[in-house]
Amino acid sequence: MPSWQDFQPFIVSGLALGGVYALSGVGMVVLYQATGVVYLAFGAVGAMGALIAWSLIQAGAPGWVGWLACVAFGGAITLAYGMVFGPALAKRDPLVKAVATLGLTLVLFGVMDLLWTTSGGESRAITLPTDNSGFMVGQVQVNWTQVIGLAVGVAITVGIGAFLRYTKLGTAMRAMANDREITATLGVPVRRVEAAAWLGCGVLAGAAGLLLADLVALDAATLTFLVISSLAATLIARLRSITLTFAAALLIGLVHDLLTPIQSLTNYRDMTPFVLAAVALLVISRRRVMTASREET
Amino acid sequence: MTGTAGGVNAANGRVDVADLTVRYGGVTSLDGMSVTFEPGTCGLIGPNGAGKTTFFNVLSGFVRPAAGTVRAFGEDLLSIVHYRRARWGVRRTFQTEQAIEELSVFDNVAMVHEHSRLNGSSRVKDVLSAVSFVGLDVDPSTRVRTLSAGQRRLVEVARAVVGRPKLVLLDEPAAGLPDEETEHLGAVIRQIPEQTGALTILVDHDMSLVSACCATTAVLDFGKLIASGPTDEVLRDERVISAYLGTAEVS
Amino acid sequence: MLDVADRTASARQRWPPRRPDARTLARAAVITVLLLFVLLALPQLLSLYYIDAMTQVAVYSMVALGLGVLVGRVGLVSLGQVAVLAIGAWVAARLLFATSMPYPVVLLEAGLITMVAGTVIGLPALRLRGLYLALITLMLAGAITVVLATVNFPNGGHGFTGYNGSSVHIPPIRRPSIAGGDPAYFRYAVVVAALMFLLAWAHIRTRPGRAWAAIRQSEPAALAAGINTTLYKLWAFALASFITGVAGGVLAGAVHYLYSIDFPTQDSITLLAVVLMGGAYSLWGAIIAALLLQLLPALLNNWGVSADWLTILFGIGVLQVLTTAPAGLADQAPKDLARLGRLLLALARRLAPSGGTR
Repeated sequence: MPSWQDFQPFIVSGLALGGVYALSGVGMVVLYQATGVVYLAFGAVGAMGALIAWSLIQAGAPGWVGWLACVAFGGAITLAYGMVFGPALAKRDPLVKAVATLGLTLVLFGVMDLLWTTSGGESRAITLPTDNSGFMVGQVQVNWTQVIGLAVGVAITVGIGAFLRYTKLGTAMRAMANDREITATLGVPVRRVEAAAWLGCGVLAGAAGLLLADLVALDAATLTFLVISSLAATLIARLRSITLTFAAALLIGLVHDLLTPIQSLTNYRDMTPFVLAAVALLVISRRRVMTASREET
Repeated sequence: MTGTAGGVNAANGRVDVADLTVRYGGVTSLDGMSVTFEPGTCGLIGPNGAGKTTFFNVLSGFVRPAAGTVRAFGEDLLSIVHYRRARWGVRRTFQTEQAIEELSVFDNVAMVHEHSRLNGSSRVKDVLSAVSFVGLDVDPSTRVRTLSAGQRRLVEVARAVVGRPKLVLLDEPAAGLPDEETEHLGAVIRQIPEQTGALTILVDHDMSLVSACCATTAVLDFGKLIASGPTDEVLRDERVISAYLGTAEVS
Repeated sequence: MLDVADRTASARQRWPPRRPDARTLARAAVITVLLLFVLLALPQLLSLYYIDAMTQVAVYSMVALGLGVLVGRVGLVSLGQVAVLAIGAWVAARLLFATSMPYPVVLLEAGLITMVAGTVIGLPALRLRGLYLALITLMLAGAITVVLATVNFPNGGHGFTGYNGSSVHIPPIRRPSIAGGDPAYFRYAVVVAALMFLLAWAHIRTRPGRAWAAIRQSEPAALAAGINTTLYKLWAFALASFITGVAGGVLAGAVHYLYSIDFPTQDSITLLAVVLMGGAYSLWGAIIAALLLQLLPALLNNWGVSADWLTILFGIGVLQVLTTAPAGLADQAPKDLARLGRLLLALARRLAPSGGTR
């Protein structure tokens, strides 16, 4: 069993990872609440954004141009998807909407493999300037990127919480989560609110993609399916509470990284999101009884 | 189809609801509802949101009440697992169409018979009998997909009366139907207790249908029982009228 | 009432209808002819490369069949069927190395063990609503992939996992004695697939199929009709897992060597995509799905086109199917199948190396 010493660096990396998972998770929850769509393409969008940034940087552009392009791409493609397929599927079951985003995932996946082939053994990396500077906390080395990871997660959770509660746009989003039809009749510009939700989620996807590409790996498949970790956090929060999403995301990140130094479990640490989400869902579903349709008279 | 072990009998062919309370997500859909449904056809009316479908959901087993009991035909209904209630004898139609399009009329009705664990040897007879009873004049092997809305409703009623039902719950069976078909439906509903021995509860907004079919009626408003008794008396009751007018003003 | 009794009596005389059922006979004839053609003639007409591809089509037609039953008939979406396939393949490989049981027995056991695994895993998940069920299966697929990457596929080693990490010479997974060569194994695979289709068809035409139709339409209504929905949903899971497990066994023999990278999470998503495109409801849809999944890439590969274009096509296909289907995830008759067929034909014509330019 590893010592406390051995665990310490993984607490740091776990928190940083968890922070980015929180960033992703909160983005997905807000979009789900506003539109009923579980944005499974979140990871793929971030992955492609990160690859675009990489290409620009390889071509000589300054770092910030790449990062901006990444975030802009995330926002643009998500907004485009939302504006085209949002209305088309608006009245459908959340399951159908979620499966539709898998269509987008496949398209992006194919494009990524075409433009940035993975076969060939070339490994790519994104490095942010904050990777190389850091400080010591006790005996552990912490770099600024990790701080950013956690900080962004916290900031987004708090920020979006405040946004939803105190701004007009945020309140409109909460109203739509409750009942889209009624909100529309109240004169709320539903399409515009949805567009804002899609754009915001896309921007977060780009940011998350960039950070994960730095903290984990710049690989299309890895980044695309890292969405599963954030997804687990959102499921634990029943796709409702952003505070719970945040907490669950940190937990997932921590547990995942803390398993690294444990020899017997380290190979299985990627199962963390699944195990935690499954346990949580089973506990939650115990108390639910099936309710019939929403028609109550 | 009458005279079964738990059949109509003044002593136990009733449904006694005591203190039924249902809470969900901060809303109290049923608030201490207490009423007795006598054998025959009973109406259950009330403005939208009064709790009528919630009550049916409790009887079907989809919703667990926070408090209260339901005794039907002398047994504790709530202690039976939801999918076993059909076997016991609870049958129900829903506000939205539930007849299965891809199957035939026969298969739709036979399915209920099959899953209520009724005797396989009498299945054909029972199914055809139910189809004839509701006056559905089509070849039973017809796919439901090809039927009209009114005919599909009749299929659903047939599913509700096949075999040996004890409690038949009809949730707005006439919604959206033209007058002629509503009348036919009313005639069918009136005969259910006599033909099957089942206690029938009819929820509908069509007051003429309710007064044509139901000897007694109960009225819900905001989850509370506000009136019950002979139908024509209830329909003239001031509290009932103001409950309906009250909501009419808002919407 | 006299009237009802009268009508019932006359209705009984006309029941059951003795329709000549020309349509069913015609359909059976077509299927028989097609099957005979595939079994007897096809292996003679194709090169080994395409026989290999068609064997994969047979394997994946079974996997698509399982998913089709779940999605098309019951309305349950599983995003983890490729992981289930991997389990089936693993079990079969282990048995084939460790024992000398005849092939059909191995396939049966692989199917049964996978069925138990699928049911055990499915049981707690079934209480979840459709969306959550789909997401949980996605995560489950991810988890199984992780386990497989660590445990690896059996390669003739000893111990429970049958994996020897330091093996220099890895024996190939054996094939049945009557079907050692590729064309013979292809026929074997087709026969197994036909049996699986028969099994599914038998389910659909009898009580479980009717119960599934009720559940798919509305679970509350099904419960109200006395259907034990949990039992029937579990039954669907069991059937899908069994069929997929058997498919895994056939796959093991087909490829001789199994690696965990052959079963990536992405494949489960692509599988769902092609099942939706082919039509999840109809049994033919499973065959179309398998052709899309395994024959098209082989064709494109042969013509030097990257398979990534197919991934993109499938993504677009999913979006197309979902936006045009009127209700539910699986429409009963995929309307754009004809359009897809024309699209593919156009694509094929354009990419054919010979036969004129456009």
